[in-house]
Amino acid sequence: MAYTRRNAKAGYLFLAPWLIGLVVITIGPMLASLYLSFTDYNLIQAPQWIGLANFTEMLHDEKLHNSLKVTFVYVAVSVPLQLVVALATALLLDRGMRGLAFYRSIFYLPSLLGSSVAIAVLWKQIFGTAGLVNQLLELVGIEGPGWVSNPDTALGTIILLHVWTFGSPMIIFLAGLRQIPRTYYEAAQVDGAGKVRQFFSITLPLLSSIVFFNLILQLIGAFQSFTQAFIVSGGSGGPAGSTTFFTLYLYQEGFGKFDMGYASAMAWLLMIIIGLFTAINFLGAKYWVFHEN
Amino acid sequence: MGRRLAGTRWLAAALGAALVLAGCGGGDEAAGGKVTLRFTWWGSDGRHTITQKVIDAFEAEHPNIEIKGEYGDWTGYWDKLSTQVAANDAPDIIQMDEQYIREYAGRGALLDLAKYDVNLDGFDASVAKAGEFDGGLYGVVNGVNAPVVLANPQLFQKAGVKLPDDKTWTWDDYTRIATELTAKSAKGVWGSQSFGSDPAALKIWLRQRGADLYTADGKLGFSAEQLAEFFDQVKQLRDAKAIPTAELIEENAGATVNQSGSATGKYAMGFWNSNQLAQVSEAAGQEFKLLRFPSLTGKPKDAQEYYKASQFWSASARTKHPEEVGQFIDFLANSDKAAQLLLSERGTQPNKKLREATASKLSPTDQVINRFISDLAPDLGAPTPPVPVGLGGAGFPLGESTGEVLFGRLSSLDAARKLIDEANNNME
Repeated sequence: MAYTRRNAKAGYLFLAPWLIGLVVITIGPMLASLYLSFTDYNLIQAPQWIGLANFTEMLHDEKLHNSLKVTFVYVAVSVPLQLVVALATALLLDRGMRGLAFYRSIFYLPSLLGSSVAIAVLWKQIFGTAGLVNQLLELVGIEGPGWVSNPDTALGTIILLHVWTFGSPMIIFLAGLRQIPRTYYEAAQVDGAGKVRQFFSITLPLLSSIVFFNLILQLIGAFQSFTQAFIVSGGSGGPAGSTTFFTLYLYQEGFGKFDMGYASAMAWLLMIIIGLFTAINFLGAKYWVFHEN
Repeated sequence: MGRRLAGTRWLAAALGAALVLAGCGGGDEAAGGKVTLRFTWWGSDGRHTITQKVIDAFEAEHPNIEIKGEYGDWTGYWDKLSTQVAANDAPDIIQMDEQYIREYAGRGALLDLAKYDVNLDGFDASVAKAGEFDGGLYGVVNGVNAPVVLANPQLFQKAGVKLPDDKTWTWDDYTRIATELTAKSAKGVWGSQSFGSDPAALKIWLRQRGADLYTADGKLGFSAEQLAEFFDQVKQLRDAKAIPTAELIEENAGATVNQSGSATGKYAMGFWNSNQLAQVSEAAGQEFKLLRFPSLTGKPKDAQEYYKASQFWSASARTKHPEEVGQFIDFLANSDKAAQLLLSERGTQPNKKLREATASKLSPTDQVINRFISDLAPDLGAPTPPVPVGLGGAGFPLGESTGEVLFGRLSSLDAARKLIDEANNNME
């Protein structure tokens, strides 16, 4: 009994930093933002209660609609693409090649760097009019566009940046692949199943819960993307609004136009959207996620 | 029981310690009754050095006040400032721009300096009034300048194009010269920078057509048709290759003075303020030429140039030491020591006595600027109303709308209507 109590004490102590953090920097600000979403608040003067006006304004806000479109395109393209690349790389590394640890680190590195300001700046230079990509294209006689400054390609470069950070789902896939008993493959081989058949009949079903986990995680992350678009477009969401992510527009409204009430309402809309997508995924999961027990 | 209590106490202690830690780092009062003020400005490296010298001079006279400089570039300055104001962490003294002064003052973020002993007797009346509105003095003008075209004589010469007579040149001349410059210059060099995202250029363009960007009672002073015409002209210049492609314009949008197309020798003509002649020339390593804006008729008065408060010294309404802030701003505005250091780096001295006192010390470039400003006086158009609350920076997204036109996403008229809707919406 005493033993468990002492354990509890230590537990609380270890929990304390997280618990304090949760209350002070998560729940508190969330409640504040919920209140502010019903007000007109310009950061300096006291907030004025305006009821649902912020939310009804969203219905007519074309820029908000555009930012939703940009964000949905980004999520719908970059998340599946990233997972496919991550899984493919994990399969490759799972073969147990020489220097595996080295490759694992190399592929994981972008995940650590990818959402940093430095990489976004680098990206802007690589894909600029006089950037590395166009210099390479010039060698084969093609004059490339200004990738980051053309509304047709700007979002694509940011999607590419996201796909490039496939390392973290890859590591999780790799761990999942290691859990699949080798005997299954041996049995399949005896039965004459080829590599492709083995992948679709053994690997994918047994990995489906990991796929699901990665999907949810990446989906939530992608909806909240901000840094890359902010840096690549210099905070403008340009060219011509093509990289105005939802979060970037939220930032512009809150800190650019001092409309913190509207920005708070937008934050809650984003939370509802993410919650909805996560719920849909959980509901859909029972049709394709395979649990061994 | 005793154990459980001990456990709770532990938790309480841990919580308390964390809260105390979190509470630290807030106070700005240094030991020994010394007052510390934070002072923020944007600018080039040269400006940072000069401003630090002014701070040192002030501290030598006021040993009880310490000024901490926080400086950076124009890009990012306003994001940072608005975030600081939001977090109740605004610097005490703030270098302010005419685009934002009403924005901040209108929301109660700026101190009414009239109450704190800032003497403006030496200023031209109209200049002193620029920071006065809504019943208070929210900024002290620290320099006078005018919107100009900066020409790169070397690029003109290389292309074999003659510099225009800026008192008589028209927009047709401008278009012809810019087009010719691009055609006769090396690849990557353009006749002119685009003015499509420059509110000052739009303002002059509108004033020449009997309108203005804003009216005195804080509304938009132009019609959708007039704005559409402006977009059409930018598009025409792009099609003639007088200005760069939309992509290059976009890439250059956030460039610092040193990285700008003018400073890096990519634009033969660029759009600036008169006081920036020195910075741009220094960054480019050669002397640029100051030109007035072209007009429709070729008559100097029809160019509708105007004096602009290059910047203001403002202060945070939440400063804990308004008296000391007042002393420092008064020092910046009226002290001979400050003037001898600042010279006209931030624009022509608004204090007439100091302008004369420093005249002999000015660099040849600054003397050119001062002469340009004086010469402009008889040809100025009417004064121009301040930027209404809600339209500073992001509230009037001119660059974005021009981009939509240049990338062919919207027609000129649709883009104009959209911008007007948005601006009206942001003013409410």
